[in-house]
Amino acid sequence: METIVFYLLAASIVFTGVAVVAMRNPIHSALALVCNLIGVAAIFASLQAHFLATVQVIVYAGAIMVLVIFVIMLLNIKEEKPARERFLLLGGVVLAGFAFFVALSFVFLHQFQVTPELTDEITGSVANIGRVLFTKYVFPFEAASLLIMAAIVGSIMIAKTKRREVS
Amino acid sequence: MVSVNHYLILSLLMFSIGVTGFVIRKNAIVVFMCVELMLNAVNIAFVAFARMHGNLDGEIAVFMVMVVAAAEAAVGLAIIIALFRNAKSVDTDDAAELRL
Repeated sequence: METIVFYLLAASIVFTGVAVVAMRNPIHSALALVCNLIGVAAIFASLQAHFLATVQVIVYAGAIMVLVIFVIMLLNIKEEKPARERFLLLGGVVLAGFAFFVALSFVFLHQFQVTPELTDEITGSVANIGRVLFTKYVFPFEAASLLIMAAIVGSIMIAKTKRREVS
Repeated sequence: MVSVNHYLILSLLMFSIGVTGFVIRKNAIVVFMCVELMLNAVNIAFVAFARMHGNLDGEIAVFMVMVVAAAEAAVGLAIIIALFRNAKSVDTDDAAELRL
C-alpha cells in the first residue's frame, strides 16, 4: 500500500515537474508547479513530517505561488514564441540533464553511507518541531525574521516606481 | 517497502528537471519556478535523511529553506517587475545589458 502510494506520488511529481519546464504559457507552468508542490507536501506527510507538509501547502502552494501568478498576470506575459529552432541543442541539454541525474545518483547511492531503512524514532509533528525550533535553533529562527524583514524592505525599494520630483 | 534510496532518486530526478529547465527556458518567471523546483527537490532529500537518522535537524533545515524561498520569491519577483519596466519584456536574453 505504502509502495503504491509512493510510486503514484513520484509519478505525479515527475510529470508535473516536466510540465513546468515544457509548457509554453507561464500560467500553465505555474499551475503545474502548484500541483508539484502539493505532491511534495504529500511526500513529506508520507515521511511523517506533518508540520512541513502543512507549511508546504500554506506557504509554498499558497503564498509564494499566488505571488508568482499575480506577477504573471500583472505583467500580462504572452506565450513564449518558439524561437529555439535548434532542436539538436535542445536535445543535447536534455541529455546533459539526464547525465547529471545519473552522475548524482551514482554519488548519492554509492559514495554516501546510506542505511536504507527509515526509523520511526521521532516524528516531525508540530509539537516536536516547535520544541526543537525554540530551544536548539532559536537563534536561526530569530535571524530568519530579520531576513524576511530585509527582503520586504528590499523588494519594496526595487519594485517601487520612481516619482518625478515636482520642483 | 519504500527505502531512503527511493526518496533520494525522486529528489535527484526533480533536481535534474529543475536544472534542465533553468538552462533551456528564457522566460525569467519560468526560470524562477525552476529554481523553486530545485529547492523542493533538496527539501525531499533533507526530510528523507532526517527520517533516516531519526532526528529533526534536517526538518529544521527544510523550514529554513522555506523561509529563504519566501524571501527569495519577494525579491526575485520585484527584480522581474523592475526588469519588465525597463526592458518591456521578461526574456532573459533581453536582460543582457547590465544596466537599468
